[in-house]
Amino acid sequence: MIACLETAPTALLHWFLALLASWGVPAWTLPFVSALIIIGVLLGVFLTLFALTSVLERKILARAQNRYGPNRVGPFGLFQPVADGIKMLTKEDLVPRSADQIVHFLAPVVMLIPALMVLAILPYGRGMVPAELDAGILYFFALGAGTEVAVFMAGWSSNNKYSVLGAMRAIAQMISYELPLVMSAIVAAMVAGSLSPSAIVEAQGGFWAGVVPRWFVFTPWGFAAFLIFYIGALAEANRSPFDLPEGESEIVAGHLTEYSGFKYALFFMAEYVGMFAICGLMVTLFLGGWQAPLPFLDFVPTWAWFLAKICFVAFTMVWVRATLPRLRIDHLMAFAWKFLLPMSFAAFFAAACWHFAGRGLAGWLVSLAIVGAPYLLLGGAFARRFAVSRRTYRFSQ
Amino acid sequence: MDAFCQSLCADPIAALSGWFVLVPSLVLLLSAAAAVAARNLVRAALLATLSFVALGVVFIALGAEFVGFAQLLVYVGAVAMLIVFVILLTKPEQLARSPLAGAGPAGGILVAFALLAALLGFIFASPAADKALPAAAAAAPVAAIGRALLGEYVVVFIALGVLLTAALIGAAVIALEDEEP
Repeated sequence: MIACLETAPTALLHWFLALLASWGVPAWTLPFVSALIIIGVLLGVFLTLFALTSVLERKILARAQNRYGPNRVGPFGLFQPVADGIKMLTKEDLVPRSADQIVHFLAPVVMLIPALMVLAILPYGRGMVPAELDAGILYFFALGAGTEVAVFMAGWSSNNKYSVLGAMRAIAQMISYELPLVMSAIVAAMVAGSLSPSAIVEAQGGFWAGVVPRWFVFTPWGFAAFLIFYIGALAEANRSPFDLPEGESEIVAGHLTEYSGFKYALFFMAEYVGMFAICGLMVTLFLGGWQAPLPFLDFVPTWAWFLAKICFVAFTMVWVRATLPRLRIDHLMAFAWKFLLPMSFAAFFAAACWHFAGRGLAGWLVSLAIVGAPYLLLGGAFARRFAVSRRTYRFSQ
Repeated sequence: MDAFCQSLCADPIAALSGWFVLVPSLVLLLSAAAAVAARNLVRAALLATLSFVALGVVFIALGAEFVGFAQLLVYVGAVAMLIVFVILLTKPEQLARSPLAGAGPAGGILVAFALLAALLGFIFASPAADKALPAAAAAAPVAAIGRALLGEYVVVFIALGVLLTAALIGAAVIALEDEEP
């Protein structure tokens, strides 16, 4: 029964295609039908996840702040996304008269399409990759560049100073954090010896001493690269504490200021789908992809593990949002260039040493030293520079 | 012609697969022409970005996945953004004072054709021009490209690395001088 579940999605697809073929549908259309079905399933899963997250995030934030959160629409407020969707669809779509109409219209489209396209290369389960690409990781980052263009289009076409300032901030932040992000992803690709996501997941199979999974996050260099990737992912997805492109208290809503109605909803959707995509890449690169965390848990379908891991990583992102205050723009840039980038080089070097020291205990210790020394040095320098001293007030208690 | 029609009915995808590359090529040419013709600088930059994307798709359609993705990553992610930043941070009066502003369209056309002639000369002089296109372009695996970069062409690779590092340090030095009054 449970063994059936593992292959159920692919088996269903093959059964349906065989049925179509037996009805006399021309053979050359079948790859298209298959692709359309896979696209439909992916859209269904990720848009449901988006709808669920939009309400669960507010629930979790409310819990962290000792409030109730949305609880009026449906049981526990679970139908809130439906109400939000109707609200967004029926709202007036305002476009400023001085806006560049074409670019203003295209920006949400350019934002959403790459966010959906990157979902194609994630290995959702054993043998469940929608598009098996030799350079899958590169594909992911190449399409990620589309987001920057879309943000600029939105900011510039609105013809609003807050929009342009917000877009410039967003682009500066994305370019700065893309570097450590790509560098830390390369570490995993280098050790696995491939840019293909499924090969990277395969390389993380098995267990040390039969208990600890051989995921990259459980090695010193992998742990460092994972943290760097996590921070970079937060910044790329515009998540708090890196949400200053839309810092309400400073620049209204940044590049989204002049967007309303369903165009705004598209940006919102692209942001959340992008967040899930980068969580998926993080799980693939460092958290063992669809591999089970313990040997006796192998009976659970691999795609269930993948989804569970994505949801867990997304939950931690909401948790971080509830915990940390927003960064200041100069701190943000200094952190990316002076701390994350050197640390990602250190993780890169440590991974190479781990490989050439035989991937055993010696490599483990050497890579720990290579990652740990710059962390202590740079971290110490940062702690001294941004030391928080007790504030004394002269005129009040 | 008849044989082509028959294969079109049996499997249109296989029959037309050689022609798919024409779609992004057309987009590339049209968007590049529109970028040159556009009066608005930012719109011209966005059209140029579209032509970068179309070029990437042309590479992918020809079976050069790695080059295509690298084209998208570098040109859309970095070069296009650089162009846009330069346009936004340059004051209009600085543009008017630049020595290129007085050359007019005739100068631009002259330079463009000179560049085209030079490029064509190099393309026809290169040994790659003699080779016929393979019937079905076999995608070079990424691992093979990596081995070639770090094996046969490692000197070029390291030289490029040094060049980029020098550029990075130079940019940092220029940025530092602004801070000290």
